[in-house]
Amino acid sequence: MFAIVWKDMAAELRSRELLGAMLVFALLVILIFNFALELSLRTMETVTAGVLWVTFTFAGTLGLNRSMSIEKDRGCLDGLLLAPVDRSALYFGKALGNLIFMFIVEAIVLPIFSMLYGVNLFNPMLLVVILLGSLGYVAVGTLLASMAVQARTRDVLLPILLFPIVLPIVVAAVKASNGILQGFAMAEIWPWLNIMIAYDVIFVAVAFMVFDYVVEE
Amino acid sequence: MDPMPKTLKALSWLTGALLIAALYMVWIYAPREAVMGDVQRVFYFHVAVGWVGMLAFLATAAAGVIYLLRGELRWDRLALSSVEIGVVFILVNIVTGSIWARAVWGTWWTWDPRLVTATIMELIYVAYLMLRQGIDDPNRRARFGAVYGIFGFISVPITFLSIRLLRTIHPVVFGGESTVDGSFNMEPEMLQAFMFSLLTFTFVFVTLLWHRFRLQTRTEQLEQRKMSALSE
Amino acid sequence: MILQSTTPDTFAFMVLGYAVILGTMALYILSIFLRDRRIDHETRLVEALETEEQNK
Repeated sequence: MFAIVWKDMAAELRSRELLGAMLVFALLVILIFNFALELSLRTMETVTAGVLWVTFTFAGTLGLNRSMSIEKDRGCLDGLLLAPVDRSALYFGKALGNLIFMFIVEAIVLPIFSMLYGVNLFNPMLLVVILLGSLGYVAVGTLLASMAVQARTRDVLLPILLFPIVLPIVVAAVKASNGILQGFAMAEIWPWLNIMIAYDVIFVAVAFMVFDYVVEE
Repeated sequence: MDPMPKTLKALSWLTGALLIAALYMVWIYAPREAVMGDVQRVFYFHVAVGWVGMLAFLATAAAGVIYLLRGELRWDRLALSSVEIGVVFILVNIVTGSIWARAVWGTWWTWDPRLVTATIMELIYVAYLMLRQGIDDPNRRARFGAVYGIFGFISVPITFLSIRLLRTIHPVVFGGESTVDGSFNMEPEMLQAFMFSLLTFTFVFVTLLWHRFRLQTRTEQLEQRKMSALSE
Repeated sequence: MILQSTTPDTFAFMVLGYAVILGTMALYILSIFLRDRRIDHETRLVEALETEEQNK
């Protein structure tokens, strides 16, 4: 499993195409939002969480699609399937790799976001929310992306498949982040955290169970 | 050519008769609701149609699980047939809900949990159909369909919960507080009409599913015959 | 809504609602019927083709 993560990291270190694309894309999304919503300091507080999560969601889709397309195009997937490893190890390896990419992008976007919008996003609770949100997103995204890249319409298919399924975790993440940034009491934030935890547990388990059928030849 | 099974024919007639009886119940038998007027009558079929949609997507997920366990393509045909029916009926459910809302709430649309959840559900299963369209290999198509059908069905209740945390204004029919606009207490005749509609539409679902399943089976058989005829 | 004494006339909305329900159902049944008929038709074509093939 770690061999797969390592392979992805090493390949990325050499080409840097995935992270670069995700980062530039994320920054563009932030810029477009700035002009589209004409963010002033007063409206900023209420929409920051939303803008942040839309940025992550879009950049994440780009990354997922790319990471699985590379596997497919270079025939790596077939090679990996022949290797004497458990299929579930394959899933966790890819998911972990995607999660790390997601974290790197988030780690770079967050300080830039804080500077551009003048909000301090380095709140430990917010980091927990980002962790939980990214986990669920990537767990579902890795599985759906490996299906999408095997279809004819693969480039347009992933967001269409992914967004309606990840909606609950994005809603919960936005609400929780918003509550934290606005300094609400924890009692108001907990229900959202609970939804995220439940979502993560359920979907990691289900994805783990069905991944065999997605890569089977 | 295979003739239509007798049981299916009988079932179709029975369902038709039930539907006419249900229309009588909701249009004439049930009293007019005092606060909302006649538009309240939409509610009986609105809920029944939504019920069909839920049944259909449940059947899809169940058929998907069975397919993954057994690998028999007929379960995939059942899942596909069921999705198509669900997409049609949830669409009707959303549109009739919108009509009712225009009359009672004065707006075609509000971002209420049930409306949003129904819409997301519709989008999930439209995505399901698009996924299938993009894959040519029947076995792979069946596997992916099954996986996505299961994912979609699990995510719907979580979507509902997450949006429900934002306050709801949709009336709760059973055991809810009746303080929101559009809630009402059901007279016994109304309850009877409501229950009868649910029963009728359960029959409608089974009948349509059977017809659609038969169509799917015949379509695939024909494809195979065409292939073998061409390859000779 | 509160303290409303007369029942509003929402008959038109009811008609619209049921038109949508019954209309869509009718369309869907029609679509199944038409697809079914096309299968009948094409099956006959294939059968004709197969017998032709055998007679050669």
